[in-house]
Amino acid sequence: MRAENYEARNHPPSNEFEINFGPNHPGIEGNYALKVKVHGDEIVAARADGGYLHRGFEKLMEQRLWIQNIALVPRICVPDPAPMEVAYSMAVEQLCGLDVPVRAQWLRVLQLELSRVAAHLFTFGGHAATTGMYTPMFWGVADRDLLLDLFEELTGGRVYSIYNIPGGVRRDVPDGFLERLSTTLDYIDSRLPDYDNLLFTNQVFVTRAKGTGPITQAQALDWGVTGPNLRATGLAFDVRRDDPYLVYDELDFDIPTEQPGDAWARTLVRRNELLQSIRILRQIIDRLPGVAGPIRAPIPNPLAWRVPAGEAYVRIESSKGELGWYVVSDGSEKPHRVHVRGPSSMHAVQVLEHLVTGCRIEDVAQIMFSLDACPPEVDR
Amino acid sequence: MTDDTQFPVKIEQPGQVAQGGNVFSRVFDELTAFCRSRSLFILHYCTGCGAIELPPAMTSRFDMERLGISPMVSPRQADILLITGYVSVKTLKRVMLTYEQMGSPKYVIGICSCTVNGGMYWQSYATAKKLNDYMPVDLYIAGCMPRPEAVITGLRQLMDNIAKGEANGWQDYYRRYDYYLGNQQRLFGETWQTPTDVIAEAKHYDLFGPETLGKHTELLLQHQKPLEALEMRLGLDAPEKVKS
Repeated sequence: MRAENYEARNHPPSNEFEINFGPNHPGIEGNYALKVKVHGDEIVAARADGGYLHRGFEKLMEQRLWIQNIALVPRICVPDPAPMEVAYSMAVEQLCGLDVPVRAQWLRVLQLELSRVAAHLFTFGGHAATTGMYTPMFWGVADRDLLLDLFEELTGGRVYSIYNIPGGVRRDVPDGFLERLSTTLDYIDSRLPDYDNLLFTNQVFVTRAKGTGPITQAQALDWGVTGPNLRATGLAFDVRRDDPYLVYDELDFDIPTEQPGDAWARTLVRRNELLQSIRILRQIIDRLPGVAGPIRAPIPNPLAWRVPAGEAYVRIESSKGELGWYVVSDGSEKPHRVHVRGPSSMHAVQVLEHLVTGCRIEDVAQIMFSLDACPPEVDR
Repeated sequence: MTDDTQFPVKIEQPGQVAQGGNVFSRVFDELTAFCRSRSLFILHYCTGCGAIELPPAMTSRFDMERLGISPMVSPRQADILLITGYVSVKTLKRVMLTYEQMGSPKYVIGICSCTVNGGMYWQSYATAKKLNDYMPVDLYIAGCMPRPEAVITGLRQLMDNIAKGEANGWQDYYRRYDYYLGNQQRLFGETWQTPTDVIAEAKHYDLFGPETLGKHTELLLQHQKPLEALEMRLGLDAPEKVKS
């Protein structure tokens, strides 16, 4: 250390301090930062500071073949990668006018819902850890690992599955997979009362999370909040039901909502959504054996695949919110322009800045985890 | 190639001169290395995708703590810097600051293919491709992303290396500071500086060598100025909380 670098400087007298909250901080989710100004332990101003995970996805995708991009897109959101590849594949299919076989659509829903359960387990475990309760986090991570085992069996990859290609999916379910899935779902179902006892009825959690970081419904709509964070303000909007894609219109599920819109409501919505996802997966287990047919539509030589010129917009419901993919093709072998409308960039920048202002510094981590923002997707 | 040529070249340890004569010194060194390898703290800093496989590796299923490894929030008290995945240029600046803050001996593990050669993002304008250019890396765990078993195996390998006295990457940073600083200046600009005085630390650890100084350290001394107060651009124009 050089002493001359740390000489005292003349500052105007003030009770306010500026603190870098992240990127190297145990309370921050991923590689993300907040610059906060505190008065005592109350935050008077905050500024989100992203860009630590920027890789330039939209530019990288313009330099790769349509089929190569499949391997790239799941990396946009690490905890919940499945919706990315499904949405990208759907956008390419829309450009080509490809019809996806029905069985492939069922398999895609299977993958999406498995991914949603895994992401939600991870999230409310993380939220519990930020309030000082590490047991739900340990349990959440352990239970998520059972789902990752299923992913590995189905797709070959634990986290990044790269299971979809434009036109369908890569492989069918292995023998006995649905029975094992059913066993795992029964297990996770039986664990939920434990989670309730440990977390959702725990006075420590309820006292800290209730009333923290509230959003009203009008604010949520103004700021582009989607997904569980929007449903926690009382509005039952879900792309799966209101703009059905794949085979969601044949499935029976509810849209859980809560009124207050605070951290507690957001996490509770995720817990209830997990139940609904299990319900959807049980319906898939029942109905998938009855859906026969191919799992992939024939596509031209993928290394010289010229997708017809045009533009496509696809939106699906990821575990973080509404995910949109806008893809433009100029008829060449590579995309002309790609844009991702990720849910997290709205949640982690303007909403987070607003919510942490006025709260206490120990609640910053909690608010960030309750918003379930995904930093790699914010920066892309 | 003659028999006495060794590859990779082994870096001479500062304690090795005393080893031949003094039995107590040798026993003490070995004991220190053994104890050091059994109590490792990983800095809690997740740079990229690979961080998603660390919670499973740390918690009950794979349980890193049975090896004496646990996370640590402060760089001053941490032993291992895990670089989990791609590092963008903005992150790499923070990583360098963090690395220089850590107390020696310190170990760097590069997890994921991106730290080896750029991986998936080999053509990205925003990421640093080879971590080896900017700091000495003791161990790479390849894969995109490596499974928790691979992470645990890598950490056990690092424990072995430490016990045998082979994980000496941190000494290389002091011995060849000019080389690493040159690569950092190429990426971050000529005015790049950190608050840590690496040259003085190299002298302190008795690792000051002919390659510690060079034209890049000269450039550093030329540009060096006392650090200014942090400009956070968070003045009065910060967004006010909307009353609702």
